[in-house]
Amino acid sequence: MSQDQGRYTQALRNGSEATERDTEPDRPYAVDAEGVEVTYSDGTEAVRGVDLRIPRGEFFGFLGPNGAGKTTTIKTLTTLLRPTAGRVRVNGFDVASEARAVRETVGYMAQETSIDPELTARENLRFACEAYGVPRDERGERIAELLDLVDLADVADKRAEEFSGGMKKRLDSATALVHDPPLVFLDEPTTGLDPKARNRLWDYFREINDAGTTVFLTTQYLEEADQLCDRIAVILDGRIVETGSPAELKRRVGGEVLEVDLADDEGGERGRDGEDENVRERAVEVALESGLFEADATVEPTADGISVTSRRAREHGTDLLVALRDAGLEVVGFNVHAPTLDDVFLAITGEHVGLEGEPAPAEADGGAGVGR
Amino acid sequence: MSTTTGAGSGTPGARVGEAERSSNTFLGDVWVNYKRWNLKAVRNPFVLVVSLVQPVIFLVLFTQVFGGVVEGALGAPGLNYETYLAPAIAIQVALAAAVTSGVGLVNDIENGMFEKVLASPMNRAAVFLGKTLAELSRIAVQIAVVLALSVALGAEVATGLAGALGVVAVGVVFSLWFAAFSNALALLTRDQESTIIGANLLQFPLLFLSSAFIPLERLPGWIQGFATVNPVTYGVDAARAIGLGRDVITVVDVPGVEGIWHTLVPALAVLLALDLLLGGAAVYLLSRASSSAVR
Repeated sequence: MSQDQGRYTQALRNGSEATERDTEPDRPYAVDAEGVEVTYSDGTEAVRGVDLRIPRGEFFGFLGPNGAGKTTTIKTLTTLLRPTAGRVRVNGFDVASEARAVRETVGYMAQETSIDPELTARENLRFACEAYGVPRDERGERIAELLDLVDLADVADKRAEEFSGGMKKRLDSATALVHDPPLVFLDEPTTGLDPKARNRLWDYFREINDAGTTVFLTTQYLEEADQLCDRIAVILDGRIVETGSPAELKRRVGGEVLEVDLADDEGGERGRDGEDENVRERAVEVALESGLFEADATVEPTADGISVTSRRAREHGTDLLVALRDAGLEVVGFNVHAPTLDDVFLAITGEHVGLEGEPAPAEADGGAGVGR
Repeated sequence: MSTTTGAGSGTPGARVGEAERSSNTFLGDVWVNYKRWNLKAVRNPFVLVVSLVQPVIFLVLFTQVFGGVVEGALGAPGLNYETYLAPAIAIQVALAAAVTSGVGLVNDIENGMFEKVLASPMNRAAVFLGKTLAELSRIAVQIAVVLALSVALGAEVATGLAGALGVVAVGVVFSLWFAAFSNALALLTRDQESTIIGANLLQFPLLFLSSAFIPLERLPGWIQGFATVNPVTYGVDAARAIGLGRDVITVVDVPGVEGIWHTLVPALAVLLALDLLLGGAAVYLLSRASSSAVR
């Protein structure tokens, strides 16, 4: 990086250095978007009026199910798609009229792993260095540094086609960082990875963010957003439906989810799909009347029993099991889990959203058509 | 293509300018991409060899099997079939090798490199120019290899080394329209197999319904008719005029030029026009694909 570029990047990174850019009102934001709409040529309205302000240095999460508009938004912010309407500034540059400056100051890791399989890890990184104009005399050092960061130094001269999915993702993330960008976009970077590979990537992303880089991450997993992000926006059908810290979002959901599976009553009345409606109705009544959970806790029947969403789910879970048994209901299984994205959507929109790879408990079974 | 950053407009101008300077020049961007595609070609010698296999088989089998019979039909006593066929095989190599241009593009789209490059600050015209130049240099090398082989098998190039270089140059000019065509197929189908099959299906009819293997006057009228509008005829005739050192074209007659130029002028004019036309179509499809990189 030339000295000028270095200084410029530094200024964007810290926001403290007094430069002429900092005096402009747009300056504190890595991303400043207003009224963004993207309509595809086939008429699909992928993004319908998104406003985003992401301060520099933030680890920002964009949470939503498949097809919600996450990738379309990222492609708009990285100049790959032109917004149909709205105003977008990234690192202070307009994505339409100053596209090249935007491209120079952001890193982008696409949802699909994007590396040249015929080149080695080192060659992939070298090409990225050349593409982003990293000065020749700094390339070697930068490449070595990044290979270390993503633990690929040992296989640096192996062709990328020989790598596992996780290694490819790590290489891909490294190529997005060659020019030490002040802002990095990561589009579902861990989708399809095993937990170990995912945890390793999470560590790298934390390191990058700790070093001052603003990170814009999209994900379908509340857990991922919860682990990494300072702030989360939830997008559904092209609109942001909620923004807040992970803690705020979880509070919004109202705590943890306790699920209880109940045995059908042998002589009981059968419901439409063969489930024992009676057992579940009685169980819901028991839970509501037990006084174990706060007034705003939600109790609802599921395919196999009931679920209780409550801040006291963990604390009073066993008491509920006892109460159910005392009422003559047979408990065959239970678990307490952190709320999933589906639980968040349920809390925010009052609707379940079908999610790939993270089946919502009540959606997992076709016979779940009861009392939403 | 690349968007101007409006340097000098508004306050950020100066700083933007500095940010930009750290990036490559247009020629630098061309070079970066030229290197990448050459590296890929060397990494994949299989592709290099495969596009040579069929032409070489043709060269050997045709000269050995048909040589004796065809030589009488060439209308030029003392002309061996190797010499007659070599320029046509050079064009066949150009045709076969040009297909890989579109295949490379499809692979790039499939493995995400296409979008990755679009997201980078490199000049987009330079990106594709670098790729095309790498492919044309590879085609030049392949034609040179097959010409050397022809000479080893008994072909003669009447115009010597300069003539051989001329045949290579004609092959490169010829390959451009077919490379553009394969890229257009790639962008329309976004599928490797469709691109290969689509381009390969055309190869044999184009080759056989042209002046490539036998003088046109020995062929049925309908073939002569098709050959008049077949680009392969113009490519083969231009290469052959140089190889034999005399006028060979029969499908058009441009008055006022003599000797090999009587062939070269119309043939090259047709090929260059075709390059521009199909090149333009490919560039249009490419810029459309680049401005909305949605899969």
